[in-house]
Amino acid sequence: MKTNLAVLLSAPFLLAATGAAQAQDYPTKTIQIVVPYSAGGGGDTVARIVADRLSEELDQTINVVNREGAGGEIGIDEIARSDADGYTLGVFGYPDNFVLEHTRDTNFTFDDLDYLAAFDEMPMGVFASPNSSHSTLEEVVNYGQENPGEMIIGESGALGLLHALAFAERSEMQVTPVRYSGGGELMNALLGDHIDLASTSSMSHDPIVDSDGKPIGFAAEERMDMFPSVPTFKEQGLDLVMGVSRVLVAPAGLPDDIRETIVVALDEISTDEKMIANFKNAAIPYRYLDDSAVDEMLEASNSVLMPVIEKNLDQIKGN
Amino acid sequence: MDIVSILLNLLTPSVFLVVFAGVLVGIVVGAIPGLNGAIGISLLLPLTFTMEPQIGLLLLGGIYMGGMYGGSITAILINVPGDVVAAPVAMEGYPLTKQGRSKEALYYSIFSSMFGGFIGVLILILFTPPLARFALQFGPAEMFFVSLSGLIIVGALSGSILKAAFAVLLGLFISTVGVDLITGSERFTFDSIGLRAGISVVPVVLGLFCFAEMFLNIGKKPGEQVQYRDQKIARMTVIKDILRQRFLVWKSGLIGTLVGLLPGVGTTLAVFMSYGDAKRVSRRDIPFEQGNPDGIIAAESANNATVGSSMVPLLALGVPGSPTSAIIAGALVIHGIVLGPSLFVNRPDVAFTFLYGMLLTVVAMTIIGAVGIKYFSYILKIKMEYIVPTVLVFALFGAYSLRNSLFDVFIAIVLGIAGAIFKKIQVPLAPIIIGLVLGGLIETNLARAMRIAGARNMPLWEYLLATPLSKGLVALVVIMLLVVIRMRHKEKVAAKEAKNG
Repeated sequence: MKTNLAVLLSAPFLLAATGAAQAQDYPTKTIQIVVPYSAGGGGDTVARIVADRLSEELDQTINVVNREGAGGEIGIDEIARSDADGYTLGVFGYPDNFVLEHTRDTNFTFDDLDYLAAFDEMPMGVFASPNSSHSTLEEVVNYGQENPGEMIIGESGALGLLHALAFAERSEMQVTPVRYSGGGELMNALLGDHIDLASTSSMSHDPIVDSDGKPIGFAAEERMDMFPSVPTFKEQGLDLVMGVSRVLVAPAGLPDDIRETIVVALDEISTDEKMIANFKNAAIPYRYLDDSAVDEMLEASNSVLMPVIEKNLDQIKGN
Repeated sequence: MDIVSILLNLLTPSVFLVVFAGVLVGIVVGAIPGLNGAIGISLLLPLTFTMEPQIGLLLLGGIYMGGMYGGSITAILINVPGDVVAAPVAMEGYPLTKQGRSKEALYYSIFSSMFGGFIGVLILILFTPPLARFALQFGPAEMFFVSLSGLIIVGALSGSILKAAFAVLLGLFISTVGVDLITGSERFTFDSIGLRAGISVVPVVLGLFCFAEMFLNIGKKPGEQVQYRDQKIARMTVIKDILRQRFLVWKSGLIGTLVGLLPGVGTTLAVFMSYGDAKRVSRRDIPFEQGNPDGIIAAESANNATVGSSMVPLLALGVPGSPTSAIIAGALVIHGIVLGPSLFVNRPDVAFTFLYGMLLTVVAMTIIGAVGIKYFSYILKIKMEYIVPTVLVFALFGAYSLRNSLFDVFIAIVLGIAGAIFKKIQVPLAPIIIGLVLGGLIETNLARAMRIAGARNMPLWEYLLATPLSKGLVALVVIMLLVVIRMRHKEKVAAKEAKNG
């Protein structure tokens, strides 16, 4: 009887204790990181490198799940719709979500996601084909302005087209964009001289240059550490900064303590040399932004993209 | 790095273990309906991160090689090709099984795979740089004509030409569903996010070949099931017979290698092209689709030959030629290995160990296949009432796992019902797949050609016929068309004669 009473009396405390422990204990089960692309691409690679280290830090298994389709829409939609309990996270290349949201009738909006960190900065760039007679921005622009519509620029993905359009617009050229279904196909077309220029990310630099393609410039603030010889558009007098940044997100509305646990863990691993080395090995330019820095970056980037999207909505949606 | 040290590198227990393990995993996932090499590779991809790059690559290469072969096992034994590329093997192999000759069919399949695999890998080792340059010449015009030639092959398959035309048109129609790549407009999407992503090949294949076959099996009585019969046939007899078919196995291997270079279409087109060609040249008195081993020889040697050649653009240019090689590219990137011409200069250890190691995957596949055939055939001893649910579960899982999407499962089931009806009324299923695979390619490449021609201020036909290669491909299209018409005519005459007496 005595013991029973003791149990009865302490029950509320026990309950309270388990409640607190639950939050502190997070994570108690396997965490899923949804990647809205197929296995093997850049976004997938970032997710796997981070998941590997984060799982050690949180002492819990993390599974990377690929949910590709509709240019990332299906996977991002799933991240946004899942429970905000910290057991479903996502990794994808911003601004895929932003562009999708403003060009299609998506179920998610920018604010349905909580942006916890960004891991890299991969500027877009323009490359000329091996047999092209242009190897500098000036030559490209001169030819493009004198021959409106004749310059053929290949692109793939939502950002590829946006970047191609912004590039043409800011250099006052009229170009013909031609769409490819993936980076590999685009590279094939450029290296085979079937198109004049390609609008693609800096990740394609090495294979393109290896086969004698020419880098015209990167849409970055400063020259990249990885490719110091490639000029930025900015230093050549063209004001264009646009790029991909792989972000780690959760559905909006995470409980504060769980959010804190994840954010602290991410900060902790962000300086891990082994993880940074993995990024370097994969030729992904590492740049860590914590949960407040990432918001600033996204806000700035959204305001650059929005006018380009609005101006070219027809062409992006269906020309 | 000289060849001796590469070979010494290769002849270590760990390499053998990894190659055999990879091939075995490949054969298993290839044989299970709904799973394929690409899925096996994505599952084991994380495992390779901790391995030395060349070892990890050989593991993935082994899965790729084994997966290409594995599909033929279930295709032959229970008429369920695990993948599109095994569809022609099912058309010839399953009739043989019904005649109690499953072991023979399996031997034809493994040894043709062996020859094809060797041809593909040897060409990869010897001619990578020139072939990569050749593959680059395929622009929108060339891809348009190549894909068009693929459609003509449909005419070479047996059965009513009207029904085949219906099937290929249905496939072409399915390929239009989704967001149009070139214009971005939505077609037949009905505001469904699943349809917007388009209908991919895997659930369609599972539905038409796997679900349909299982649905039809449900109604069968126990006695109607194919019985296991032990067949006495020596391996050497089959190998000798394969080599006796003039150049069939070599030619099919070469078709596989060349067509396999092309991104996107490679494997499917290669397999059906060499199958169609085998039908044209076969000297056996057995009609096709009734168990002619030449069909197995052609299809199997072609599909294993594409393993080597689809890696040519990957290694030489960093351009992945197939979904599977795209995942392998991802694995290399994680190891910090830059693909492209510099690979052979900067990391010859990785490049050459991998290239020569791929020969080992062919050896491992042949050993596992040739020894395992006895045991594979035991599948036939299992009662249909156990096989049907098992296959259906795997197929559901396979349809789901491609994009982790329930929508794909739904597509597979719908097409399974449609496929069962088509089988009953003898609408051929393979042309649906051919139409689906090629439809998108024909359309996007034509649209690209129109845009580029517009930008260059030339008429479309002038752009389409601008290069010697595209002119040659037009000639190929015309010749194929004539050959198919002649084949059809001959068949008609033969059928008439048979009727009259």
